[in-house]
Amino acid sequence: MIVVEWLQFIIGIGFLLTGLGVFVVQVFGVFKFDYVLNRMHAAAMGDTLGIGVSLVGLIILSGWNFTSLKMALIIVFLWNASPVSSHLIARLEAITNPRLERHCEVKEGVTEHVWDENQKEIIRTQKAEEEE
Amino acid sequence: MSRKLSEEEYNRQRLVRMKHWLSGEKDLYLDNVEVVLDGECEPDKRKLESYEHDLDEMKTRTYDTEHNRVYRFFQRFYKMAAVLCCVALVFILIMEVSYLPPIGSASNPASNEVAAKYIEDGLQDTGAVNIVTGMILDYRAFDTFGESNVLFIATCTVLILMRNDKKKGKGSAEEEERRDSHYEPKKDAILQMGARILVPIIMLFGIYIILNGHLSPGGGFSGGAIIGAGLILYLNAFGFEKTERFFTEKTYKVVSFGSLLFYCLAKSYSFYTGAHHLESGIPLGTPGAIISSGLILPLNICVGLVVACTMYAFFALFRKGGF
Amino acid sequence: MEHPWIFISILIILSILLFFCLIRAIKGPAIADRVVAVNMMGTIVMVIIAMLAVYMGEGYLLDICLIYAMISFLAVVVLTKVYSGVYLEKIATEKKRRQKEALSGKPEKTEEGGGRA
Repeated sequence: MIVVEWLQFIIGIGFLLTGLGVFVVQVFGVFKFDYVLNRMHAAAMGDTLGIGVSLVGLIILSGWNFTSLKMALIIVFLWNASPVSSHLIARLEAITNPRLERHCEVKEGVTEHVWDENQKEIIRTQKAEEEE
Repeated sequence: MSRKLSEEEYNRQRLVRMKHWLSGEKDLYLDNVEVVLDGECEPDKRKLESYEHDLDEMKTRTYDTEHNRVYRFFQRFYKMAAVLCCVALVFILIMEVSYLPPIGSASNPASNEVAAKYIEDGLQDTGAVNIVTGMILDYRAFDTFGESNVLFIATCTVLILMRNDKKKGKGSAEEEERRDSHYEPKKDAILQMGARILVPIIMLFGIYIILNGHLSPGGGFSGGAIIGAGLILYLNAFGFEKTERFFTEKTYKVVSFGSLLFYCLAKSYSFYTGAHHLESGIPLGTPGAIISSGLILPLNICVGLVVACTMYAFFALFRKGGF
Repeated sequence: MEHPWIFISILIILSILLFFCLIRAIKGPAIADRVVAVNMMGTIVMVIIAMLAVYMGEGYLLDICLIYAMISFLAVVVLTKVYSGVYLEKIATEKKRRQKEALSGKPEKTEEGGGRA
């Protein structure tokens, strides 16, 4: 039985260390890249892969009980929530950056639908904004 | 033998008027208290000019800091007084701290028999495994009742300050909300899909925390906050049209008032019966089971409902001025 | 736990990473940078809480972890929504002002509005 315990310990710590490595890479990437949309690529890696691997390691370490069930729930929750928040942040950047094509390829400009007070639609394109 | 009142007389009766007032149909003070101008008021040009002249003169004299000796004196005096007050306050506080007993010593006034009694007899008295919940909802339940009331009163105050009464047309709540959050991105399909999956999980988790308040950390306040957060997420994803189908002002009123009333009645009963060492008649159950520890579970549910409604009501009132 | 030093060292490294995230959140030139950094900090704090729960053997700490995940997600949702709304409103009012000036034919010196905050 002692072999199984040691195996559990080693596999769990291995997963945990892998997660730690992913977090180090994440923070390194956030400092290495220059632009938000590139940085988000590194940050989202830690949000899904890093926390997933770490929590799997912790589940293996703690064994089969209610605690590990809650950790699995956290993984499910984050894998649903993290892409949504990444999408929202990317959208915020695309809306608020007037010089988007400097950093990435933009075909025909990003269109954002804006209504004025009389419900008449103004379609704002980034290219048009640039020409003014 | 009763006399049949005519319609007009009936309406003039005090009780009927009070009923109208309570149900919000008529404001008795409308048009009765406010001052109404009779006739146009004609401004006197010469008087106005002299007033303005006086005002200008006063301003130039007051803010002429070069020659105003009193002003300069008070400027210096205020600075000196501020420094003196601060130094004196710091001195007093340091003196105060030096007289305090050392941290962690056994002779401190904080480590008396009250804490020891709670820890020793808490499980037996309240039936709650979580001693903190047993303390705040059983020994000191009246305190928690006050806290719930404070939340309710805070929402009422915000309601009075920010509520938008107009039903339609310009200046109504819908109009204001449309103008205020007009430019915000709405109907984001990805966010809606995420909310569709996440909101049920959040709600279930909040209910779990409330129901397990006497067994594990948590309880009414934190569980209610989680349910409120779920409601706010739903509101952000789907907008006010969807939330108004299940959460209106009436829902808020009924839920908070009902929970506060139940809390008050239950706790008064248990105080009345418990204070004189009478049998309260409420079984405590086996510690560790979900249905145990007497009144703590329903009280937790009440507090959770009040907190959830308050969270959502604050967000909705600040966004729109209504529910 | 036979070897607590492994947990302690991993926790120390994570807290150092947290510090770097804080630097990014302070430095970040755009608002999106800051939001990304804060989101990252939330993830690392969640891992720290989960590790503490296993290390101390107290399962209830995971409830706090789950609450943390929810609150940080909600913060990102509300923050991005409100901020992009404010920005677009600023742009629209600037545009309307320019149109009005072009109509009246009275060019005034205007400061560049709607810059990056």
